[in-house]
Amino acid sequence: MLKKLLILLLLVASAGAFGQGKFIAKNAYISFYSSTPMEDILGESNEAVTILDSSNGEIVFQSLMSTFHFKRALMEEHFNENYMESTKFPKAKFKGTIEGFKKEMLTAPVANIKITGVLNVHGVDKTVTVPGTIGIEGGKLVAASKFKVAPEDFGIVIPSLVRDKVGKEMEITVKAIYLPYGQ
Amino acid sequence: MKRTHYIFIALFLLLFSGNVQSQDLDALLNAETKPTVDYATATFKASRIINGHSIEQMKKKQLDFRISHRFGPLNDGAYGLFGLDQSKIHFSLEYGVTDWLMLGVGRGSLNKTYDSFAKFRLLRQSSGAKWMPVSLSYLTSVELNSLKFQDPTRTNYFSSRLAFVHQLLIARKFNDKFSFQLSPTFIHRNLVKTELDMKDVYAMGFGARYKLSKRLSLNAEYYYNYNPNSKFLDTKYYNSASVGIDIETGGHVFQIMLTNSLGMREGSFIPQTTDNWFDKGIHLGFNISRVFAL
Repeated sequence: MLKKLLILLLLVASAGAFGQGKFIAKNAYISFYSSTPMEDILGESNEAVTILDSSNGEIVFQSLMSTFHFKRALMEEHFNENYMESTKFPKAKFKGTIEGFKKEMLTAPVANIKITGVLNVHGVDKTVTVPGTIGIEGGKLVAASKFKVAPEDFGIVIPSLVRDKVGKEMEITVKAIYLPYGQ
Repeated sequence: MKRTHYIFIALFLLLFSGNVQSQDLDALLNAETKPTVDYATATFKASRIINGHSIEQMKKKQLDFRISHRFGPLNDGAYGLFGLDQSKIHFSLEYGVTDWLMLGVGRGSLNKTYDSFAKFRLLRQSSGAKWMPVSLSYLTSVELNSLKFQDPTRTNYFSSRLAFVHQLLIARKFNDKFSFQLSPTFIHRNLVKTELDMKDVYAMGFGARYKLSKRLSLNAEYYYNYNPNSKFLDTKYYNSASVGIDIETGGHVFQIMLTNSLGMREGSFIPQTTDNWFDKGIHLGFNISRVFAL
Protein backbone atom coordinates (compact mmCIF):
# COMPACT_ATOMS: atom_id res chain seq x y z
CA MET A 1 0.00 0.00 0.00
CA LEU A 2 2.70 2.39 1.08
CA LYS A 3 4.86 1.42 -1.88
CA LYS A 4 2.05 2.02 -4.35
CA LEU A 5 1.29 5.31 -2.77
CA LEU A 6 4.94 6.29 -2.99
CA ILE A 7 5.15 5.47 -6.67
CA LEU A 8 1.94 7.34 -7.34
CA LEU A 9 3.23 10.36 -5.45
CA LEU A 10 6.53 10.30 -7.27
CA LEU A 11 4.74 10.16 -10.59
CA VAL A 12 2.52 13.06 -9.68
CA ALA A 13 5.44 15.06 -8.41
CA SER A 14 7.63 14.45 -11.43
CA ALA A 15 4.76 15.15 -13.78
CA GLY A 16 4.31 18.39 -11.90
CA ALA A 17 7.95 19.34 -12.37
CA PHE A 18 8.03 18.62 -16.08
CA GLY A 19 4.54 19.53 -17.05
CA GLN A 20 4.73 23.10 -15.88
CA GLY A 21 4.47 24.51 -19.35
CA LYS A 22 7.95 25.91 -19.67
CA PHE A 23 9.44 26.64 -23.04
CA ILE A 24 13.13 26.86 -23.86
CA ALA A 25 15.35 28.10 -26.67
CA LYS A 26 19.03 27.21 -26.43
CA ASN A 27 20.18 28.93 -29.59
CA ALA A 28 18.44 32.26 -29.36
CA TYR A 29 19.80 35.11 -31.45
CA ILE A 30 20.94 38.35 -29.83
CA SER A 31 22.68 41.15 -31.65
CA PHE A 32 23.63 44.69 -30.91
CA TYR A 33 24.20 47.27 -33.54
CA SER A 34 25.60 50.74 -33.45
CA SER A 35 25.90 52.97 -36.44
CA THR A 36 27.82 56.20 -36.82
CA PRO A 37 29.10 57.93 -39.96
CA MET A 38 32.56 56.63 -39.01
CA GLU A 39 31.81 53.00 -38.35
CA ASP A 40 29.10 50.35 -38.07
CA ILE A 41 29.47 47.87 -35.26
CA LEU A 42 27.54 44.61 -35.22
CA GLY A 43 28.00 41.91 -32.61
CA GLU A 44 25.99 38.72 -32.88
CA SER A 45 25.43 35.65 -30.76
CA ASN A 46 23.44 32.56 -31.63
CA GLU A 47 23.98 30.89 -28.30
CA ALA A 48 21.75 32.75 -25.88
CA VAL A 49 19.55 30.57 -23.68
CA THR A 50 16.02 31.64 -22.80
CA ILE A 51 13.17 30.07 -20.86
CA LEU A 52 9.54 31.12 -20.89
CA ASP A 53 7.13 30.09 -18.17
CA SER A 54 3.66 29.75 -19.66
CA SER A 55 2.01 29.70 -16.24
CA ASN A 56 2.81 33.34 -15.46
CA GLY A 57 4.43 34.86 -18.55
CA GLU A 58 7.84 35.10 -16.94
CA ILE A 59 10.71 35.13 -19.38
CA VAL A 60 14.47 34.90 -18.78
CA PHE A 61 17.47 35.31 -21.08
CA GLN A 62 21.09 34.56 -20.48
CA SER A 63 23.95 35.12 -22.84
CA LEU A 64 27.68 34.60 -22.44
CA MET A 65 29.76 37.56 -23.60
CA SER A 66 32.28 35.20 -25.18
CA THR A 67 29.64 33.98 -27.65
CA PHE A 68 29.37 37.38 -29.35
CA HIS A 69 31.19 37.59 -32.65
CA PHE A 70 32.12 40.50 -34.89
CA LYS A 71 33.34 40.95 -38.42
CA ARG A 72 36.47 42.69 -37.18
CA ALA A 73 38.50 40.58 -34.79
CA LEU A 74 39.72 43.73 -33.06
CA MET A 75 36.17 44.80 -32.26
CA GLU A 76 35.60 41.48 -30.58
CA GLU A 77 38.75 41.92 -28.56
CA HIS A 78 37.84 45.45 -27.53
CA PHE A 79 34.27 44.39 -26.75
CA ASN A 80 35.51 41.78 -24.29
CA GLU A 81 38.59 43.57 -22.96
CA ASN A 82 37.65 47.23 -22.82
CA TYR A 83 33.89 47.52 -22.69
CA MET A 84 32.16 44.44 -21.29
CA GLU A 85 35.13 43.30 -19.16
CA SER A 86 34.04 39.77 -19.90
CA THR A 87 36.34 38.05 -17.43
CA LYS A 88 34.71 40.04 -14.61
CA PHE A 89 31.17 40.00 -16.02
CA PRO A 90 30.91 36.94 -18.26
CA LYS A 91 27.11 36.98 -18.63
CA ALA A 92 24.30 39.29 -19.58
CA LYS A 93 20.87 38.47 -18.17
CA PHE A 94 17.32 39.57 -18.53
CA LYS A 95 14.43 38.56 -16.31
CA GLY A 96 11.01 39.97 -17.01
CA THR A 97 7.33 39.38 -17.38
CA ILE A 98 5.07 39.80 -20.37
CA GLU A 99 2.59 42.56 -19.56
CA GLY A 100 -1.04 41.41 -19.41
CA PHE A 101 0.04 37.84 -20.02
CA LYS A 102 -2.58 35.30 -21.07
CA LYS A 103 -1.86 31.68 -21.94
CA GLU A 104 -3.61 32.14 -25.28
CA MET A 105 -0.82 34.49 -26.40
CA LEU A 106 1.40 31.44 -26.85
CA THR A 107 -0.97 29.67 -29.21
CA ALA A 108 -2.21 32.68 -31.20
CA PRO A 109 -0.46 34.13 -34.27
CA VAL A 110 2.38 36.56 -33.61
CA ALA A 111 1.19 39.72 -31.86
CA ASN A 112 2.77 42.73 -30.21
CA ILE A 113 3.56 42.61 -26.52
CA LYS A 114 5.45 44.58 -23.89
CA ILE A 115 7.90 43.04 -21.51
CA THR A 116 9.06 44.69 -18.30
CA GLY A 117 12.00 43.36 -16.42
CA VAL A 118 15.53 43.76 -15.19
CA LEU A 119 18.36 43.77 -17.68
CA ASN A 120 21.77 42.97 -16.21
CA VAL A 121 24.74 43.89 -18.37
CA HIS A 122 28.32 44.58 -17.22
CA GLY A 123 27.18 43.80 -13.68
CA VAL A 124 24.65 46.64 -13.62
CA ASP A 125 20.90 46.08 -13.17
CA LYS A 126 18.45 48.30 -14.99
CA THR A 127 14.69 48.01 -15.18
CA VAL A 128 13.49 48.29 -18.74
CA THR A 129 10.21 48.00 -20.60
CA VAL A 130 10.73 46.82 -24.15
CA PRO A 131 8.38 46.15 -27.06
CA GLY A 132 8.31 42.73 -28.63
CA THR A 133 6.25 40.10 -30.37
CA ILE A 134 5.23 36.60 -29.40
CA GLY A 135 3.09 33.89 -30.97
CA ILE A 136 3.04 31.02 -33.42
CA GLU A 137 4.98 31.48 -36.62
CA GLY A 138 5.46 28.54 -38.98
CA GLY A 139 4.12 26.17 -36.36
CA LYS A 140 6.62 27.28 -33.74
CA LEU A 141 6.46 29.56 -30.75
CA VAL A 142 8.55 32.57 -31.64
CA ALA A 143 9.44 35.63 -29.58
CA ALA A 144 11.30 38.67 -30.84
CA SER A 145 12.22 42.12 -29.65
CA LYS A 146 14.09 45.18 -30.80
CA PHE A 147 15.00 47.99 -28.44
CA LYS A 148 17.71 50.51 -27.66
CA VAL A 149 20.00 50.82 -24.67
CA ALA A 150 22.73 53.28 -23.83
CA PRO A 151 26.10 51.79 -22.78
CA GLU A 152 26.44 54.58 -20.20
CA ASP A 153 23.43 53.21 -18.32
CA PHE A 154 25.41 50.06 -17.61
CA GLY A 155 28.59 51.76 -16.51
CA ILE A 156 30.29 51.15 -19.85
CA VAL A 157 32.50 54.12 -20.59
CA ILE A 158 33.18 55.04 -24.22
CA PRO A 159 36.36 57.14 -24.28
CA SER A 160 36.29 60.39 -26.20
CA LEU A 161 38.90 58.98 -28.57
CA VAL A 162 36.40 56.55 -30.09
CA ARG A 163 33.26 58.54 -29.28
CA ASP A 164 32.55 59.19 -32.94
CA LYS A 165 32.89 55.49 -33.81
CA VAL A 166 30.68 53.99 -31.14
CA GLY A 167 27.03 55.08 -31.10
CA LYS A 168 25.42 56.65 -28.05
CA GLU A 169 22.75 53.97 -28.25
CA MET A 170 22.94 50.33 -29.18
CA GLU A 171 20.08 48.66 -30.99
CA ILE A 172 19.48 45.25 -29.48
CA THR A 173 17.72 42.59 -31.56
CA VAL A 174 16.50 39.38 -29.97
CA LYS A 175 14.87 36.40 -31.60
CA ALA A 176 14.06 33.03 -30.05
CA ILE A 177 12.26 29.95 -31.31
CA TYR A 178 10.94 28.06 -28.32
CA LEU A 179 10.43 24.35 -27.80
CA PRO A 180 8.56 22.81 -24.88
CA TYR A 181 10.99 22.30 -22.00
CA GLY A 182 12.19 18.80 -21.31
CA GLN A 183 11.85 17.53 -24.86
CA MET B 1 -1.37 3.29 10.53
CA LYS B 2 -3.72 5.39 8.53
CA ARG B 3 -2.58 8.51 10.28
CA THR B 4 1.07 7.81 9.44
CA HIS B 5 0.02 7.45 5.84
CA TYR B 6 -1.59 10.84 5.84
CA ILE B 7 1.40 12.40 7.52
CA PHE B 8 3.58 10.75 4.92
CA ILE B 9 1.48 12.09 2.07
CA ALA B 10 1.44 15.54 3.55
CA LEU B 11 5.20 15.52 4.01
CA PHE B 12 5.74 14.30 0.50
CA LEU B 13 3.54 16.91 -1.05
CA LEU B 14 5.24 19.62 0.95
CA LEU B 15 8.65 18.38 -0.07
CA PHE B 16 7.84 18.21 -3.73
CA SER B 17 5.90 21.41 -3.95
CA GLY B 18 8.92 23.00 -2.29
CA ASN B 19 11.13 21.42 -4.90
CA VAL B 20 9.04 22.63 -7.76
CA GLN B 21 8.98 26.14 -6.40
CA SER B 22 12.72 26.36 -5.85
CA GLN B 23 13.36 25.04 -9.34
CA ASP B 24 12.91 28.58 -10.60
CA LEU B 25 13.80 29.97 -13.98
CA ASP B 26 17.24 31.21 -12.96
CA ALA B 27 18.35 27.79 -11.82
CA LEU B 28 16.96 26.20 -14.97
CA LEU B 29 18.71 28.78 -17.07
CA ASN B 30 22.06 28.17 -15.43
CA ALA B 31 21.62 24.44 -15.83
CA GLU B 32 20.91 24.87 -19.52
CA THR B 33 23.79 27.25 -20.27
CA LYS B 34 26.56 25.08 -21.65
CA PRO B 35 29.99 25.36 -20.05
CA THR B 36 32.30 27.06 -22.52
CA VAL B 37 36.01 27.00 -23.16
CA ASP B 38 37.27 30.44 -22.18
CA TYR B 39 40.31 31.24 -24.26
CA ALA B 40 42.72 33.87 -23.00
CA THR B 41 42.55 36.74 -25.46
CA ALA B 42 44.66 39.87 -25.75
CA THR B 43 47.60 38.44 -23.82
CA PHE B 44 49.47 41.31 -25.47
CA LYS B 45 48.03 44.28 -27.32
CA ALA B 46 49.95 43.81 -30.55
CA SER B 47 51.78 41.09 -32.45
CA ARG B 48 55.09 42.45 -31.05
CA ILE B 49 56.01 42.92 -27.42
CA ILE B 50 58.57 45.56 -28.42
CA ASN B 51 61.06 44.27 -31.00
CA GLY B 52 60.24 40.59 -30.83
CA HIS B 53 57.07 38.72 -31.58
CA SER B 54 54.36 38.29 -28.99
CA ILE B 55 51.96 35.38 -28.86
CA GLU B 56 49.34 37.50 -30.60
CA GLN B 57 48.61 37.13 -34.27
CA MET B 58 46.11 38.38 -36.80
CA LYS B 59 42.83 36.51 -36.89
CA LYS B 60 41.53 35.20 -40.20
CA LYS B 61 41.25 37.83 -42.94
CA GLN B 62 42.75 40.61 -40.83
CA LEU B 63 45.64 42.56 -42.31
CA ASP B 64 48.11 44.43 -40.14
CA PHE B 65 50.13 47.22 -41.70
CA ARG B 66 53.06 48.09 -39.48
CA ILE B 67 55.50 50.96 -39.65
CA SER B 68 58.42 51.10 -37.24
CA HIS B 69 61.18 53.59 -36.61
CA ARG B 70 64.27 53.48 -34.44
CA PHE B 71 66.14 56.73 -34.02
CA GLY B 72 69.86 57.06 -33.43
CA PRO B 73 71.44 56.54 -30.01
CA LEU B 74 71.03 59.02 -27.18
CA ASN B 75 74.82 59.25 -26.90
CA ASP B 76 74.93 61.03 -30.27
CA GLY B 77 74.59 64.03 -28.02
CA ALA B 78 73.27 67.48 -28.85
CA TYR B 79 75.09 67.48 -32.20
CA GLY B 80 72.85 64.65 -33.45
CA LEU B 81 69.86 65.90 -31.44
CA PHE B 82 70.24 62.88 -29.16
CA GLY B 83 69.72 60.44 -32.01
CA LEU B 84 66.73 62.10 -33.64
CA ASP B 85 68.77 63.21 -36.66
CA GLN B 86 68.82 59.71 -38.06
CA SER B 87 66.44 56.80 -38.11
CA LYS B 88 66.04 53.28 -39.37
CA ILE B 89 62.69 52.31 -40.74
CA HIS B 90 60.82 49.06 -41.17
CA PHE B 91 57.56 48.39 -43.02
CA SER B 92 55.59 45.20 -43.02
CA LEU B 93 52.31 43.69 -44.12
CA GLU B 94 51.09 40.83 -41.99
CA TYR B 95 48.02 38.77 -42.74
CA GLY B 96 45.93 36.18 -40.92
CA VAL B 97 45.38 33.37 -43.42
CA THR B 98 43.50 31.42 -40.77
CA ASP B 99 43.10 31.94 -37.05
CA TRP B 100 46.18 29.78 -36.52
CA LEU B 101 48.46 30.94 -39.35
CA MET B 102 49.83 34.40 -39.98
CA LEU B 103 52.15 35.30 -42.83
CA GLY B 104 54.13 38.50 -43.13
CA VAL B 105 56.55 40.25 -45.42
CA GLY B 106 58.63 43.30 -44.62
CA ARG B 107 61.50 45.50 -45.50
CA GLY B 108 63.91 47.28 -43.20
CA SER B 109 66.42 49.97 -44.02
CA LEU B 110 69.02 48.47 -41.67
CA ASN B 111 71.26 46.39 -43.98
CA LYS B 112 68.53 46.83 -46.62
CA THR B 113 66.83 43.70 -45.36
CA TYR B 114 63.81 41.93 -46.81
CA ASP B 115 62.09 39.50 -44.52
CA SER B 116 59.20 37.08 -44.47
CA PHE B 117 57.78 35.03 -41.66
CA ALA B 118 55.14 32.49 -40.74
CA LYS B 119 53.64 32.23 -37.29
CA PHE B 120 51.70 29.15 -36.26
CA ARG B 121 49.44 28.97 -33.25
CA LEU B 122 49.83 25.58 -31.63
CA LEU B 123 48.12 25.90 -28.24
CA ARG B 124 45.80 28.45 -26.70
CA GLN B 125 45.64 29.19 -23.01
CA SER B 126 42.15 28.40 -21.79
CA SER B 127 40.02 27.78 -18.73
CA GLY B 128 36.48 26.57 -18.23
CA ALA B 129 35.53 23.42 -20.11
CA LYS B 130 39.12 22.94 -21.29
CA TRP B 131 42.17 23.83 -19.23
CA MET B 132 45.46 24.86 -20.78
CA PRO B 133 47.96 26.89 -18.74
CA VAL B 134 49.88 28.54 -21.58
CA SER B 135 49.62 29.58 -25.19
CA LEU B 136 52.25 28.29 -27.58
CA SER B 137 53.20 29.47 -31.05
CA TYR B 138 56.00 28.74 -33.46
CA LEU B 139 57.61 31.45 -35.52
CA THR B 140 59.91 30.92 -38.45
CA SER B 141 61.37 33.61 -40.66
CA VAL B 142 63.88 34.23 -43.39
CA GLU B 143 65.81 37.48 -43.66
CA LEU B 144 67.59 38.59 -46.78
CA ASN B 145 70.36 41.15 -46.53
CA SER B 146 70.37 42.96 -49.88
CA LEU B 147 73.42 45.19 -49.34
CA LYS B 148 75.94 45.13 -52.19
CA PHE B 149 78.58 42.49 -51.61
CA GLN B 150 81.67 44.00 -50.01
CA ASP B 151 84.01 42.32 -52.41
CA PRO B 152 82.42 41.91 -55.86
CA THR B 153 85.58 40.38 -57.29
CA ARG B 154 85.27 37.13 -55.40
CA THR B 155 82.53 34.53 -55.95
CA ASN B 156 79.48 35.63 -53.99
CA TYR B 157 76.55 33.35 -53.38
CA PHE B 158 72.92 34.40 -53.04
CA SER B 159 72.58 32.07 -50.06
CA SER B 160 75.17 34.17 -48.22
CA ARG B 161 72.53 36.84 -47.85
CA LEU B 162 70.15 34.67 -45.86
CA ALA B 163 69.51 34.22 -42.18
CA PHE B 164 66.90 31.90 -40.65
CA VAL B 165 65.03 32.32 -37.39
CA HIS B 166 63.15 29.69 -35.40
CA GLN B 167 61.36 30.73 -32.28
CA LEU B 168 58.93 29.22 -29.82
CA LEU B 169 56.62 31.65 -28.08
CA ILE B 170 55.31 30.45 -24.74
CA ALA B 171 53.00 32.93 -23.08
CA ARG B 172 50.66 33.10 -20.15
CA LYS B 173 48.14 35.77 -19.30
CA PHE B 174 48.25 35.63 -15.51
CA ASN B 175 45.40 38.06 -15.04
CA ASP B 176 43.74 40.96 -16.83
CA LYS B 177 46.80 43.11 -16.30
CA PHE B 178 49.89 40.93 -16.28
CA SER B 179 51.19 38.67 -19.05
CA PHE B 180 54.56 36.99 -19.43
CA GLN B 181 56.29 35.31 -22.33
CA LEU B 182 59.35 33.14 -22.88
CA SER B 183 60.80 32.97 -26.38
CA PRO B 184 63.54 30.38 -26.91
CA THR B 185 65.22 31.33 -30.18
CA PHE B 186 67.58 29.77 -32.67
CA ILE B 187 69.08 31.81 -35.49
CA HIS B 188 71.24 30.51 -38.29
CA ARG B 189 73.19 32.93 -40.47
CA ASN B 190 74.66 31.58 -43.66
CA LEU B 191 77.44 34.15 -43.73
CA VAL B 192 78.86 36.18 -40.88
CA LYS B 193 81.34 39.03 -40.88
CA THR B 194 84.32 37.26 -39.43
CA GLU B 195 85.31 33.79 -38.41
CA LEU B 196 84.76 34.77 -34.81
CA ASP B 197 81.10 35.63 -35.33
CA MET B 198 78.78 32.76 -34.59
CA LYS B 199 76.76 31.34 -37.46
CA ASP B 200 74.35 29.67 -35.04
CA VAL B 201 72.93 31.85 -32.32
CA TYR B 202 70.94 30.63 -29.34
CA ALA B 203 68.96 33.07 -27.27
CA MET B 204 66.18 33.24 -24.72
CA GLY B 205 63.64 36.03 -24.86
CA PHE B 206 61.73 37.31 -21.85
CA GLY B 207 58.74 39.58 -22.37
CA ALA B 208 56.13 41.04 -20.07
CA ARG B 209 53.35 43.52 -20.10
CA TYR B 210 51.46 45.25 -17.35
CA LYS B 211 48.26 47.09 -18.18
CA LEU B 212 48.21 50.55 -16.66
CA SER B 213 44.69 51.21 -17.92
CA LYS B 214 42.33 49.66 -20.45
CA ARG B 215 44.15 51.24 -23.35
CA LEU B 216 47.65 51.71 -22.01
CA SER B 217 50.19 49.08 -21.08
CA LEU B 218 53.80 49.00 -19.96
CA ASN B 219 56.01 46.45 -21.73
CA ALA B 220 59.49 45.12 -21.19
CA GLU B 221 61.57 42.76 -23.25
CA TYR B 222 64.98 41.18 -22.85
CA TYR B 223 66.83 38.74 -25.08
CA TYR B 224 69.62 36.81 -23.44
CA ASN B 225 72.27 35.59 -25.87
CA TYR B 226 73.91 32.27 -25.04
CA ASN B 227 76.80 32.91 -27.39
CA PRO B 228 79.57 34.70 -25.52
CA ASN B 229 81.37 37.60 -27.15
CA SER B 230 84.76 36.65 -28.41
CA LYS B 231 87.37 38.95 -26.91
CA PHE B 232 89.06 39.10 -30.29
CA LEU B 233 86.00 40.64 -31.97
CA ASP B 234 86.27 44.33 -32.85
CA THR B 235 82.58 44.83 -32.24
CA LYS B 236 81.10 44.00 -28.89
CA TYR B 237 77.53 42.72 -28.91
CA TYR B 238 75.04 43.30 -26.13
CA ASN B 239 71.82 41.62 -25.11
CA SER B 240 68.79 43.45 -26.42
CA ALA B 241 66.85 45.19 -23.64
CA SER B 242 63.80 47.36 -24.19
CA VAL B 243 61.01 49.07 -22.31
CA GLY B 244 57.98 50.62 -23.91
CA ILE B 245 54.37 51.52 -23.70
CA ASP B 246 51.47 50.43 -25.89
CA ILE B 247 48.70 52.90 -26.60
CA GLU B 248 45.61 51.49 -28.18
CA THR B 249 43.21 53.72 -30.08
CA GLY B 250 40.58 51.55 -31.72
CA GLY B 251 42.12 50.16 -34.91
CA HIS B 252 45.63 51.44 -34.14
CA VAL B 253 48.21 50.37 -31.62
CA PHE B 254 51.09 52.77 -31.00
CA GLN B 255 54.13 51.29 -29.35
CA ILE B 256 56.73 53.74 -28.12
CA MET B 257 59.95 52.35 -26.73
CA LEU B 258 63.48 52.84 -25.51
CA THR B 259 65.84 50.12 -26.66
CA ASN B 260 69.53 49.50 -27.21
CA SER B 261 68.74 47.72 -30.50
CA LEU B 262 68.60 49.41 -33.85
CA GLY B 263 67.32 46.35 -35.70
CA MET B 264 63.65 45.51 -35.82
CA ARG B 265 63.91 41.88 -36.90
CA GLU B 266 65.12 38.85 -34.93
CA GLY B 267 68.16 38.32 -37.14
CA SER B 268 69.44 41.78 -36.32
CA PHE B 269 68.34 42.77 -32.82
CA ILE B 270 69.11 39.43 -31.17
CA PRO B 271 72.69 38.80 -32.34
CA GLN B 272 73.70 42.25 -33.58
CA THR B 273 72.84 44.78 -30.91
CA THR B 274 75.93 46.92 -30.60
CA ASP B 275 74.73 49.62 -28.22
CA ASN B 276 74.84 49.50 -24.48
CA TRP B 277 72.24 50.94 -22.10
CA PHE B 278 74.96 51.83 -19.58
CA ASP B 279 76.78 53.83 -22.21
CA LYS B 280 73.61 55.78 -23.13
CA GLY B 281 73.35 53.67 -26.28
CA ILE B 282 69.60 54.02 -26.09
CA HIS B 283 67.34 54.46 -29.10
CA LEU B 284 63.94 56.03 -29.03
CA GLY B 285 61.55 54.25 -31.37
CA PHE B 286 57.98 53.48 -32.23
CA ASN B 287 55.85 50.86 -33.95
CA ILE B 288 52.50 51.75 -35.43
CA SER B 289 50.05 48.99 -36.19
CA ARG B 290 46.94 49.56 -38.25
CA VAL B 291 44.60 46.61 -38.69
CA PHE B 292 42.25 46.26 -41.64
CA ALA B 293 39.48 43.68 -41.94
CA LEU B 294 39.55 42.35 -45.49
